[in-house]
Amino acid sequence: MRNPPALEQLVEALRCLPGVGPKSALRMAYHLLQRDRKGAGLLAQSLDQALQVVSHCNLCNNFSEHPICPLCASENRDKSLLCVVEMPSDLMMLEQTHSYQGMYFVLMGRLSPLDGIGPRDIHLDKLIKRAQDGYTEEVILATNYTVEGEATAHYVSELLRSRGLKVSRIARGLPMGGEIEHVDSGTLAQAMLERRSVR
Amino acid sequence: MAVSINRQDNQPVYVLHTYPFKETSLVVELFSREFGRVAAVAKGARRPRSAMRGMLQAFQPLQATWSGKAELKNLHSMEWGSGLLLLQGEALMCGFYLNELLLRLLPREDAHDALFDYYNQTLCILARNDVAAGTTLRRFELRMLQEMGYAVPLTNDENAKPVIQNQLYHYIAEHGAVAADTHAGGANGVQLSGKTLLDMARDDYTDVQTQQQSKQLMRLLLAHYLGDKPLHTRQLLMDLQAL
Repeated sequence: MRNPPALEQLVEALRCLPGVGPKSALRMAYHLLQRDRKGAGLLAQSLDQALQVVSHCNLCNNFSEHPICPLCASENRDKSLLCVVEMPSDLMMLEQTHSYQGMYFVLMGRLSPLDGIGPRDIHLDKLIKRAQDGYTEEVILATNYTVEGEATAHYVSELLRSRGLKVSRIARGLPMGGEIEHVDSGTLAQAMLERRSVR
Repeated sequence: MAVSINRQDNQPVYVLHTYPFKETSLVVELFSREFGRVAAVAKGARRPRSAMRGMLQAFQPLQATWSGKAELKNLHSMEWGSGLLLLQGEALMCGFYLNELLLRLLPREDAHDALFDYYNQTLCILARNDVAAGTTLRRFELRMLQEMGYAVPLTNDENAKPVIQNQLYHYIAEHGAVAADTHAGGANGVQLSGKTLLDMARDDYTDVQTQQQSKQLMRLLLAHYLGDKPLHTRQLLMDLQAL
């Protein structure tokens, strides 16, 4: 027996979500149509709404409803610092620390040579323009400490330093409250290699 | 061929690449010393507190335990191997290039212990960053093709005559060097001097012309074995240079 075409189409559409295969998609579709039609309506409406109003902030490249997002428009931020992160979730984490008052730039990804994700996919041209706004004095690279994040940091730093900008990279090492006995050898080895003198 | 033994403990491996798999797992492409290229699922490796999460990074000597009869194994545990390699900047991109070559050319579960050792050695050289990256890559490319059983004749020409230092040659994939005066040239060959071939055979890359011509030669040979799909790493470097 075949499902009605509209249902088939819904299943097909749901499969665009990451980690959703044909079975999960079918389960979701049945649930939406049978158990939660109100929720389905809301989902359709919110999707439509979000697609229409949400785009990227002209300055930080984060998702925004306005051409300039509230964070970039704020008067209380330090315009001399620009922190480069991979994803909006990284920005949220940094904001939660309440230890950074500067501006941000969200790459929306990282360079990943083996997946074919190159400079065009992570808006490097936009970052170069953003960093040369005349206010930025230091660019802080807060990409992940994965091999892809490291590669991204390296190339971003090369591109920005060749344009006369000061570039720094967030530190790494033992976590807060980290005990040497329980930390993984990779982190410990890094911490030893990148030790700093005591002031 | 598929290995019939089920479980492999603490095998020396390198991670070549990882892909997200289902909600919280990863498919890990491993290059192991004893079993060649192995793909395994690391269950739950994308959970925030996964013990394996931070460890499944490329260019680190690791020890892996896996089991399974099918092509896709189950990865049980990972341990740090000996020493930590810090690839930085350009060396990091060279590392990605090596991994892409291995992923594209090495068939699954075909053991190449000598190539594994050479890969290990190459990563150490890249981490130390004291040899020109181009030379390191040429050596690896040549060694890789040789280890995989592709003949790259350097000291003899197509007719089994010794290569002459001052002679010009056309190098054609699967054929070898053809003396330039006996060959009309063609689209699928690269022109180089006998000296380049002899230098490569001697593993001497000090001459600038050797560096340039060996690069062209290896590019031709790799393109021949890789087929039409270009290498992502090369494309990415070209895109970066355009910025």
